[in-house]
Amino acid sequence: MRSAVLAIALAACSPPDHGPRWRAAGNASPRDGGTLRFATSDQVVTLDPAIEYDQISGYIVHALHDTLVGYEPGGTALVPHLAASWRVSPDGLDYTFALRDGIVFADGSPITAESFLAAFARVRAAADSPFQPFLANVASVSAPDPHALAFHLAKADASFVYVLAMPFAAPHRDGSDTTSGPFVLERWDPGVRVVLRKNTRYWDAAHVHLDAIEMAENVPRDVQFLMFERGDLDTVEGLALADYLWIQDQPAWQPFVHVRATLNSYGSRMNVRQKPFDDRRVRQALNYALDKQHSVKLLGGAAIASHGILPPGVLGRDDTLAPYPHDPAKARELLAAAGYPGGFDIEYMIIDDDEAERLAGSLQHDLGEAGVRVHITELSIAMYAAALASKDGPAFAKAGWIADYPDPASFFDGCFHTRAISDEGTTNFAFYSNPELDALLDSARAEPDPARRAALYRRAEHIVYDDAPWLWDYHQETVEVTQPYVRDYEPHPVWLRDYTHAWLDLDGDGERVTR
Amino acid sequence: MLARRIARRLLAHRGAAVGAILAVALVAIAAVGPAITSHDPEAVDVDHGLSTRGAPRSPSAGEALGTDQLGRDVWARVVAAAPATLGIALAATALALAFGFAVGLAAGLAGRWVDGALMRLVELVLAFPYLLLAILLAALLHGTSLASSGLPVVLALAAVGWPLVARVTRGKAMAIARCDYVHAARALGATPLRVSLRHVLPNLTGVAIAIGVPVLADTLLAESTLNWLGLGPTPSWGRMMYEGREYYRVAPWLMLAPGLAIVGAVVALHLIGDAVRDSLDPKGDHA
Repeated sequence: MRSAVLAIALAACSPPDHGPRWRAAGNASPRDGGTLRFATSDQVVTLDPAIEYDQISGYIVHALHDTLVGYEPGGTALVPHLAASWRVSPDGLDYTFALRDGIVFADGSPITAESFLAAFARVRAAADSPFQPFLANVASVSAPDPHALAFHLAKADASFVYVLAMPFAAPHRDGSDTTSGPFVLERWDPGVRVVLRKNTRYWDAAHVHLDAIEMAENVPRDVQFLMFERGDLDTVEGLALADYLWIQDQPAWQPFVHVRATLNSYGSRMNVRQKPFDDRRVRQALNYALDKQHSVKLLGGAAIASHGILPPGVLGRDDTLAPYPHDPAKARELLAAAGYPGGFDIEYMIIDDDEAERLAGSLQHDLGEAGVRVHITELSIAMYAAALASKDGPAFAKAGWIADYPDPASFFDGCFHTRAISDEGTTNFAFYSNPELDALLDSARAEPDPARRAALYRRAEHIVYDDAPWLWDYHQETVEVTQPYVRDYEPHPVWLRDYTHAWLDLDGDGERVTR
Repeated sequence: MLARRIARRLLAHRGAAVGAILAVALVAIAAVGPAITSHDPEAVDVDHGLSTRGAPRSPSAGEALGTDQLGRDVWARVVAAAPATLGIALAATALALAFGFAVGLAAGLAGRWVDGALMRLVELVLAFPYLLLAILLAALLHGTSLASSGLPVVLALAAVGWPLVARVTRGKAMAIARCDYVHAARALGATPLRVSLRHVLPNLTGVAIAIGVPVLADTLLAESTLNWLGLGPTPSWGRMMYEGREYYRVAPWLMLAPGLAIVGAVVALHLIGDAVRDSLDPKGDHA
């Protein structure tokens, strides 16, 4: 007993060394081979690119499928993938893609222009495909020859090429489930794990170094972190705040902590069709009442305060706009002017997880200072999503938006265009309808000149800033920690996890080198 | 004479002394709690209650038990949670004792089919995993207007606590019913009601105390489990542990403070329970 106490006391006194257990072997050039292992807290829903629209399934679907165009490694610029090049007609209505020579599916059969037509036909035929709206503007798509693909749009759309980088636009061979991406599916035990193996027939296989990727499903976040520390995982993403705080205290880990801005905006929707949010002054008051720096702090600093829907780096973001300042007095003033001198009681719906709870606790406190008494309702993610998309859901609710591609249209049109409103499946969570904004967004989408386009979106930024259909809060950054031997990897702003070009710096026997 | 001997044994019991001190301390904290801390248990303080990086503050002179994930004072929250936590456990135990006593007495004295039916019911409830039953009951009551009170948890805990009481009471009641003085009372024409109230019940007081204390301890533990799962009023010790669980390395006090409060309360009750049982035991003088 006494020795046990002594051991604990000694452990508490000795300098903490919780650095990585392994180090990079030090290969000068990328080493081929090895399996990269990671885990997710949820599970793959489907691997069908015509249906898949969630983050976890997306990691795998993206690794399995390639598209005409893709993103540069680690960035958001479009580069040719299965297409060698493309041309746009001066009126912005016709897009012609020339396919890369010699591209084949994983089973060796050739990828031709027909393969893409088959994919679009599948999306159009699938009743449950969420991607039909993305093709609504495509008047016709044809294959002038086996190596060329021609799109004719009904209206000009400057963001159209981004759409073709989404996995649903990957080539498909009828009667087969063969794929075109850097990896092929080796094994999927639903709810347990997915194993991918390198596709040696991939057109860019020379730059794919991993032999395999293994993703474990349904592993809670804190468990993932423990597994990572033990060395059972090679990378861990989406750290719980406690783990993020802990690893920041470990100097030896710092080079392997990747913090990266991604395409999102978080806040709270205020249903403008319901009282008290039908009054703009109330919505502005709440924006003044919330201290966004509190949210940033409660996210461990891995976020920036937001003034609107567009995160930094996206075309059309107006960086001269500052987030609403924290000003409870001004908030009270606006509430009084709107006829709520004593504030009001309001239900606030969130997902039942620790992070959402923490942020809601702070919001409740801040709004309370302005006289708004917030009552928090926590729901499971499925119930929350249904209530958020329904006109009868709570008027005040946590909301977030993750863009499909790095273009302002993917933020604005889905969130604030009147077209995005529907009674039970709205993505315009605030039910915000403004003809002036709609017209602006429509002309911005069609505008081919980037500078003029940016100016239009800056005007849109000001409109939603002033009208405040959301309680703007923050843009969250993704935090991923990799083992030191994971090389040439950064989280991707669009895909988050994209290990196509990553490699494992192991010794000659393929073993990890102990630090 | 007997009462005095029991009291003497109890006072001389070392475990009882420790348990009593712990229990008195906890009850005192629960009773005068708000007066012994200057912090508001609900006061979120992101600006000053957290480090610049957003970590809870460690225990210091200003905050004896540090702050939690929202910068709230942990000591103030442990104290604020005490009355509700202990109150719910006491209420649930009282209910379980009352109901268990009634059932046990009826079964023990009536015998035959009444006994058979009631004991099968007891076995049914005992066979059902208590946690599942409690969660089910609490979840069913959660949607009602009673949700914001501690009532769902009280009822759930009472519903799982009574069968043990009923069983012990039944055994004891049957034994007493066979005693000569009960036969004598019956022979003198006493009604069954008078027999049970006047002759059997008073002799069950010791049993009530002996079983009530450990039931209270078990109830407190089960209550903390339900709190951990998100049921019952907040703050509660169990919920505080849940909220602090991920911080076990950066802010261990978030789990330790409410955890020690639970352990302290349960240990105190068990020590007292042991002492009570020992002192009521006519065969031994363990003091």
